[in-house]
Amino acid sequence: MKVVIKKLIVLVFVLTVFSACTNRFEEINTNPNAPISVTSSLLLPQIIRDMVNSTLGEAWGIGNIVIQHTAKNQFVNEDRYLWGELNSIWNNVYSNMQDLKIVLDQSEASNQKNYKGIALILKSWMFSLATDCYGDIPYSEAIRGKSDGINFPKYDTQESIYAGILADLAEANTILGTTGEIVAGDPIFNGDITKWKKLANSLRLRYLMRISNKRNVAADMAAIVNNPNTNPIMTGNSDNANYNYLANAPDQFPLFTTRIGSFNEFRASKTLMDVLTGFNDPRRNIFFRPTPATELTPDPSDDQYVGIPNGLGDVEALQFNGGPQNQSRIGALFYEEANTSRGLSIAKGVIMNYAELQFILAEAAKKGLIAGGDAQARTYYENGINASFAYYGLSMPPTYLTQAGVAYNPTNALVQIGTQKWIAFFFQGLEAWFDWRRTNIPALTPAATNQTNGIIPTRFIYPLSEQSLNTQNRIEAVTRQGADAITTKVWWNK
Amino acid sequence: MLFSMDMQAQDKTLRGKVTIAATGEDFPGVSVFIKGTTVGTVTGTDGTYSLKLPNNANTVVFSFVGYRSVEVAIGGQSTIDAQLVEDIQSLNEVVVTALGVKKEKKALGYATQTIQSNDLIQARETNLVNSLAGKIAGVTVVGNPTGIGGSARVIIRGERSLNINNNQPLFVVDGVPISNNNYGSSGRGNQEVDYGNGAGFINPDDIESMTVLKGGAASALYGSRANNGVIVIKTKSGRGTKGIGATVNSTLTFENVLRLPEYQNVYGQGLGGVFEFRDGNGGGRADGVDESWGPAFNGQPIRQFDSPTANGLRGGDVGNLNTRIGPVNLAAQLAARGEILPTPWVARPDNVKNFFQTGLTFTQNVALAGSNDNGDFRVSYTYLDQKGIVPNTDLNRNTFAFAGGYNLSKRLKARAVINYIKNTSGNRPNLSYGTENIMYLFNCWLGRQVDVQAMKDYWQFGREGLNQFNFNYNYHDNPYFNVFENTNGQSLDRVYGNLSLTYQFTDWLNLMVRSGTDFSNEFRDRRRAYSTQRFPLGSYREEKIFYEERNTDFLLSANKNLSETISLTASVGGNTLTQVFNSSDVFAPELAVPGVYSLGNSRVAIQAAAFRSKKRINSLYASAQLGYKNFLYLDFSARNDWSSTLPKGEWSYFYPAANLSAVISDMVELPKLISFAKARVGIAQVGNDTQPYQLQAVYNAETPVKGLPAYGESSVIPNLNLKPELSTSFEAGIDVRLLEGRIGIDFTYYNTRSRNQIIGIPLSNTTGYTSRIINAGLIENRGIELMLNLVPVQLENSIRWSIDFNFSRNRSEVKELADGIQNFVMASRYLSVEARVGGRMGDMYGIGFARVQNTDPNGKYYDPTGQFVGQVVYNTAGKPIPTDQVINLGNYNPDWMLGITNTLSYRGINFSFLFDIRQGGKVYSHTQTVGREGGMIIETLEGRANGYDLSLPGNGVIGQGVVQNADGTFRPNDFKLSAREWHTSITLGRRLLEGMVYDASFVKLREVKLGYTLPNKFMGRLPFRDVNISFVGRNLFLWTNVPHIDPETASTVGGTIIPGIESVALPSTRSYGFNLGFKF
Repeated sequence: MKVVIKKLIVLVFVLTVFSACTNRFEEINTNPNAPISVTSSLLLPQIIRDMVNSTLGEAWGIGNIVIQHTAKNQFVNEDRYLWGELNSIWNNVYSNMQDLKIVLDQSEASNQKNYKGIALILKSWMFSLATDCYGDIPYSEAIRGKSDGINFPKYDTQESIYAGILADLAEANTILGTTGEIVAGDPIFNGDITKWKKLANSLRLRYLMRISNKRNVAADMAAIVNNPNTNPIMTGNSDNANYNYLANAPDQFPLFTTRIGSFNEFRASKTLMDVLTGFNDPRRNIFFRPTPATELTPDPSDDQYVGIPNGLGDVEALQFNGGPQNQSRIGALFYEEANTSRGLSIAKGVIMNYAELQFILAEAAKKGLIAGGDAQARTYYENGINASFAYYGLSMPPTYLTQAGVAYNPTNALVQIGTQKWIAFFFQGLEAWFDWRRTNIPALTPAATNQTNGIIPTRFIYPLSEQSLNTQNRIEAVTRQGADAITTKVWWNK
Repeated sequence: MLFSMDMQAQDKTLRGKVTIAATGEDFPGVSVFIKGTTVGTVTGTDGTYSLKLPNNANTVVFSFVGYRSVEVAIGGQSTIDAQLVEDIQSLNEVVVTALGVKKEKKALGYATQTIQSNDLIQARETNLVNSLAGKIAGVTVVGNPTGIGGSARVIIRGERSLNINNNQPLFVVDGVPISNNNYGSSGRGNQEVDYGNGAGFINPDDIESMTVLKGGAASALYGSRANNGVIVIKTKSGRGTKGIGATVNSTLTFENVLRLPEYQNVYGQGLGGVFEFRDGNGGGRADGVDESWGPAFNGQPIRQFDSPTANGLRGGDVGNLNTRIGPVNLAAQLAARGEILPTPWVARPDNVKNFFQTGLTFTQNVALAGSNDNGDFRVSYTYLDQKGIVPNTDLNRNTFAFAGGYNLSKRLKARAVINYIKNTSGNRPNLSYGTENIMYLFNCWLGRQVDVQAMKDYWQFGREGLNQFNFNYNYHDNPYFNVFENTNGQSLDRVYGNLSLTYQFTDWLNLMVRSGTDFSNEFRDRRRAYSTQRFPLGSYREEKIFYEERNTDFLLSANKNLSETISLTASVGGNTLTQVFNSSDVFAPELAVPGVYSLGNSRVAIQAAAFRSKKRINSLYASAQLGYKNFLYLDFSARNDWSSTLPKGEWSYFYPAANLSAVISDMVELPKLISFAKARVGIAQVGNDTQPYQLQAVYNAETPVKGLPAYGESSVIPNLNLKPELSTSFEAGIDVRLLEGRIGIDFTYYNTRSRNQIIGIPLSNTTGYTSRIINAGLIENRGIELMLNLVPVQLENSIRWSIDFNFSRNRSEVKELADGIQNFVMASRYLSVEARVGGRMGDMYGIGFARVQNTDPNGKYYDPTGQFVGQVVYNTAGKPIPTDQVINLGNYNPDWMLGITNTLSYRGINFSFLFDIRQGGKVYSHTQTVGREGGMIIETLEGRANGYDLSLPGNGVIGQGVVQNADGTFRPNDFKLSAREWHTSITLGRRLLEGMVYDASFVKLREVKLGYTLPNKFMGRLPFRDVNISFVGRNLFLWTNVPHIDPETASTVGGTIIPGIESVALPSTRSYGFNLGFKF
């Protein structure tokens, strides 16, 4: 009996030691699936792709409609301003800002000014998208959940956000090229630092113009335009900040894989169609197709281009002009032909194009924010139109620039500049919408059966999740800015 | 000398047979002895016995634990048969408790309930877990209608964890835990499929009993994972079988749809009363529209997709409309098809019903068992072949089971239990709202004139393999094409079992060493054919999932009477658990050659993802039970775990438990009315760890960007200071038997408080992250369980009627979350399931109707007159106004549940039926939301009594409620909307979902069994014995006020089952059939 008990004690002891053995625990609990640190070049690609895609997606779903480039003939809620939550920009800006902050921190720590400069440009562009969509948003305390334990970032005023954006872009311009590291993982300019620098300054002009109703931006704009060596800006379409899609999955133009019905419920808007037809603008035939009924016949001479008025009710929209057969679809280059070589050169993700810059400069010159007056404004204006035609691979009809309505007319120049800019913004519905909110050019008629008492929306509502996850700060922002409604104006728009 | 004396004394032999009174089955193992002597025997497998009678034999006694003993005077008889009646008074019942240790039920300080073999076999479920529904108080089973063998969610005594996936009990087979994992399957283009939960694969034929250990006290010894209760499964063995016996059991059941939505049959496809098919793509009149707001059915001629054409084709043989599949020349295609010859426009009231077929399940089990003094064995083979109600869905399961024991020496016994399951399915149906799910079409978008039979031939003429034939080419997939071409296959091989050695040191001390495993290899392949809406060039995906769980443990047990009155049972044990998970997911997003489903046939770069994880827990535990005079039992247990998932310094955690059981009826004299009374009380703690790799952030590989490798940091902020979770439960109960057991009452009150839960608390994504891992929360669950057993009629050897009630009510409360955090989103789909401080677990939040109020003068819609309070407020366009914030729209948990089983038996005939009643709780119906938009369901006739012209009577809808005037007063809403606009506006485009939330109460006739056991004498010389034939039915009837759907539903998001939210679910099914069992 005693022997048995002794044996047992030994056995229990051995097993106890075995059971309590924890010396391999840390090894077992080390994640074998993924690295715990990566270089900036591995983080940039996804940030850029996500942001370009979400900008394009939100333009397709909302921006192009509200700006009346396109209109819906089915599921017409968006077109009637029945907007629910629109979170894609918000979610993508903040989730990608997480990785962008890592790029910023890493490049700062290792003195990689090129990476840092690019990161600052992306940060500025992303925050501008978010603030222009929503108004006041978390900025100075954003993306500090891990580094500083800030679980509830306060919402900053749009005014202070724009101050930050412009400061960051200025810094990017200053530091880019001051260190020699080769930038990898750049799907926009493939590491071309000069082009990034041009983008930085071009964006500065865009954002200065955006806030130009709130403060005098003349000196800042002139400082950029007058010092091209220090502040280079885009000088042609080759400087365009574009994300080129590829012919094959998974890098195709995002709409390429849409269900056919989901693509076809978007049609040409009567507003843009009529303007293009009025100008005999060949871009029309790229943006839109002839009505299916006339496209079906082999004879192209009977082709008709018909847009739908924005904001009709479901039944009216579908039956407009006798039905979808008589309503122009969106151009094939933005759908089934997006993977053709022509489609690849046109259906792109756009951060900023040279044409837009020229229209900004035209407006600035016309308004006297930069030097040159009407003469210079006209040059910029015509450059912009030419650049847009060139982008689409079109040669301009000889009379295009001289016809009434297009020919530069000093008394109506701002409307002309704004209208051409609006056309050139095709498929960049968000930027077009931001710009329209500032200028109200061209004059748009609110959706026919709108649900907003005749007001064209001027912002998105905050994501509902903010109500529960950042309650107090959201309430403060709403109190400051005005009701959390799509008709409330953001700071630069007030 | 003695021998010869006996010989002389025994001049007579008594023979006979013992059967179970309730069922007429043969009763093996019954002890038969002569009263006042030690002469006795036990009955064999066929219930017979023979006993040499001593001279002084007067009375023979038949006895078996849990049955009333029968004494019969021998007189001159040489044959005495007996029928034993179950003794509900008796508590000498033995239950299997933690670690497979058997205990007398009366010594237990906590509640358990057991289901026996026959209840699982006769009216069987492909997913074993569903068999628990209604039979166990405090257990909620949500059978998810997701096709054959779909997952079931079982919750015991309420949800304790804020992690919605962490609320199911631990399943233990023969003392060793097994996996009840549910590997999610979402992502990559709406491919959501339910591949079943781990416990659902267990073969009912191999189960002897299933015991539910409900509280923490019962399960402290199983460690962390037993926090949510334990389901202890004991498999069959050969023990107790004399010689070798075989059993055969066959079941054949038919299955059909229990409930389909009620569709309207007045208007067909189209919009504004218009429809004409040309190309199903917008080319005709509203033929791109998939809603049923089209022309009324008057038999008028209209061109349709299945109308013949002048060229002898069908209207839908329109050719290729997708340039990705090939060139599109619409004019030429239309010319080739020819002009469509209109056909009558009529409703197809049964078009959805006709799609479903009668499901068929055939199960065959053969088992061979035997034992002798040296050992025992049982081998069993079960074949399950099932065809689902959805065409081309099936399940095929082969289960091999072996259990054996051998006495290696007088002191050393070895035992092995091995189960092998091979489970294959050629196709499991797709789920959830999206084109891949047939119900997306059927409940929302299938024009009411569409004859599904016309879609059976699902390729376009001349374009077989390339273009499907359909009624609409804009958005949808042909449902036959969907189920026959776009399959989700599964092949699972799984082995679980254990080996153990027990060494008996002395008669009171033994040591068991055991090692068990459960591992499975699963292969899933998903095929998508050319012209699938989401995959125009097809796709192919292979997933491989390997899971292994190894448990090695030892247990040293002592069992000794310390004195005449005090008994001691004590044990010390240890366990090491290792879990390994490996998965890979490889995807060919487009196919080079149609119809060839191979990764090598990818047209573009293959996408791949993989994940591995490993976890270890080491544990030591001890327990002791002191018994005093067989009426007072005190039980202690304690356990310490070391988990690899927690940070150093926190990875060791300890938790104790204690409980007390007092058999009052043995302690004091009670009134005669009370034949038995026991009180019990227990308290227990359970600690818990977390998943692997929660301590450090990593960077996840993303889809490459134009060939550039891409990474992103995980969006969860890890926590290096995690602590183990801790949950404390208390329970107390009484067990009283009255009138000699004719009335049995078992009542339990419990209370569980779970703290320090390890959860990813959601963050505003403006922090850069979506969640932070923290220890948080205090969740309290309180509830009662009442089991009432009545035997209104019991006549000796004749009729017996019993009624068993299982009642339970659970209330959970979220007491605390974390500092500054008031709510926690546990899951979301359409609505969000949120834990909010002060709220209950299972509360669902969403946007509601803004209503008139008279409480806050500064708030919106204030009506000082009080006249309109509570009314829905409409805007001036006639649409309901949404609330600014999400509001509580109800809780998905029932208020209470009641299962009522009636059992009637008369000799060999046994009839029973079970009603499963769930009262209260809410369910959201996406079928209702979108079925309205699509003009599909009966409700959509409101507002179009006379077509679509709003000037005609009966057309248009004015919402019930008020409009606020400019001066702030209210008037009744007076704005009329068209029917379509109304039925879409009521949810504001799927945003305001309050109106689609229903009281989920239901009553189900869950189970009906009518069985007859043939008396063995009928068999004559045939070798068959105990032939039992039963007619069985499950889920035969449903009573509920929820329109269109079975409220017992859930939606599946990845591996998460979200109760209370219906997402165009497959219809639930009723099954009926018969079962035949016999022995030879």
